[in-house]
Amino acid sequence: MHIPDGFLSPPVWLAMDLAAIPAVGLVARKAQGALEESSIPLLGVMGAFVFAAQMINFPVGPGTSGHLVGAALLAYLLGPWAAAMVMTSILAIQSLVFQDGGILALGANVWNMAMIGVLAAWLPYHSQAVASRRKAVIFTGAFLSVICAGCLALAELLISGLHIPAPVLAVALALFAVSAAIEGGITVAIIQAIEKIHPGWIQAGASGGKRTGLMVVGAAALVLAVGGVLVASSSPDGLERLIETAGLSSRGRALISTPLSGYEWSMMASEWLRKALAGLAGLVLIYGLCLLLGRGLIRRRSS
Amino acid sequence: MHQRTLDQWSRGASWLHRRDARAKALGTLALLALISSAPVRAAPLYLGVTAILAAGILVARLPLAAVLLRAAIVIPLSLTFAALVAIQGDVAKAAALVVRTYLSAAAALLLVGVTPLPKLLDGLRRLGVPKMIILTTQFLYRYLFVLVEQSQHMRIAASARGGGRVLRAIGLRRAAGSVAVLFARSYDRAEGIYRAMLARGFQGEFRLLEPTRFGWADSLLLGGLVLVCAVLGWSLPAA
Repeated sequence: MHIPDGFLSPPVWLAMDLAAIPAVGLVARKAQGALEESSIPLLGVMGAFVFAAQMINFPVGPGTSGHLVGAALLAYLLGPWAAAMVMTSILAIQSLVFQDGGILALGANVWNMAMIGVLAAWLPYHSQAVASRRKAVIFTGAFLSVICAGCLALAELLISGLHIPAPVLAVALALFAVSAAIEGGITVAIIQAIEKIHPGWIQAGASGGKRTGLMVVGAAALVLAVGGVLVASSSPDGLERLIETAGLSSRGRALISTPLSGYEWSMMASEWLRKALAGLAGLVLIYGLCLLLGRGLIRRRSS
Repeated sequence: MHQRTLDQWSRGASWLHRRDARAKALGTLALLALISSAPVRAAPLYLGVTAILAAGILVARLPLAAVLLRAAIVIPLSLTFAALVAIQGDVAKAAALVVRTYLSAAAALLLVGVTPLPKLLDGLRRLGVPKMIILTTQFLYRYLFVLVEQSQHMRIAASARGGGRVLRAIGLRRAAGSVAVLFARSYDRAEGIYRAMLARGFQGEFRLLEPTRFGWADSLLLGGLVLVCAVLGWSLPAA
């Protein structure tokens, strides 16, 4: 899932890098606020711990074994802010020391695994309502973390102009689903084992109540948005048609062509820009729908 | 081991090793940006980048063959995707994908091959990367191999106690148990490290033994790299 340099087109890696700068800044500030000074070595050692834990093989099926990715485990051990920061450090070391993931692609990898990967794991965990469903919640969080990160990586490759035929895409998604399920199982087993040694090491989720609904909606919105990005990037034409039938095309086209007309590079940029705008429009659409749905659910619940 | 080679390379004393980390990091970024924005059919450009990298490796007196071999670590992944592109009939694009990925990996390797990681991270901090991230990464790198070794010891110990083949359910629980023990030991270690650091007068940041200054030679290196990249990029054939 680590995207190396050379795969992403300049607009994609540049956009992801620029978007990662404020995100990493925010995460660092929040993590600093949530921790004491004595935790600074702890964060680094936890990053090293994830590396070491990745070396332990887990038997998952006849003749097959898997290993940990770690975003979900870190989220449950350190809380979301510190986990996102430690994941960012891990990705930086992996790209610099091990050539696992590119330097220009670091922004994309940070978004996929450190930001969205941790968020996707934390949202269901934070919403846990009943203690008896805890195992399922941890499994779901770790599962979503891996599958969301994988889908985003695929979407970024597709937007970069790498054509992946539909059957190959389906196989890739199936593989992601399998490794996500493995991650879920491993994370549940590790959390249970750590709890046996010292229950206080695991972050408490929400104690249930009002926020549960919001978090479930948040998790659902995230999954829908990630899926939406993937669908939009694999078939931008379909989305364009949708926008056209919705009567947005003339306005959208004016918006695209006016500021760029007269420039020589508009011919080159327009293909990419059209794809990007179509994807973005789809994302906004899905986000709006989820927001409305969430508001409606909360209102009904409180009334 | 893997990292020991890199550490040895980065401790050299060549002209390139002595340059400021900021100049090397920004210069590498310029080179990577050039590689990534190169069109499919741009053999002269790819040759130019190869020449720059080869010159860098020679000036740094790094073992050429070892560097080229280590950069090939990215080849399997890029070959997989290149095969996918080639099947769809675009062989030139597939070849460009492999070349771009390989050259990018070699450029990154050259950067860490001539800059010790603590110096590189200090340079990044001075370029504005948040201090928390830098500190975390420094601790991570410092303890990475300590903990990896510990995990290997635990594996050897487990197999010495007759770990062999067990039922799958037991195997999963046992692996989870080892990760939990590894976590407990890491946690203890972190607390010990903090106490030891306080005892040695830690005041919130790592200091370099030999702080570097951004001198005229560094400006020359960075300026030269950016200029060459700009010229190469300018003369690109239209995509």
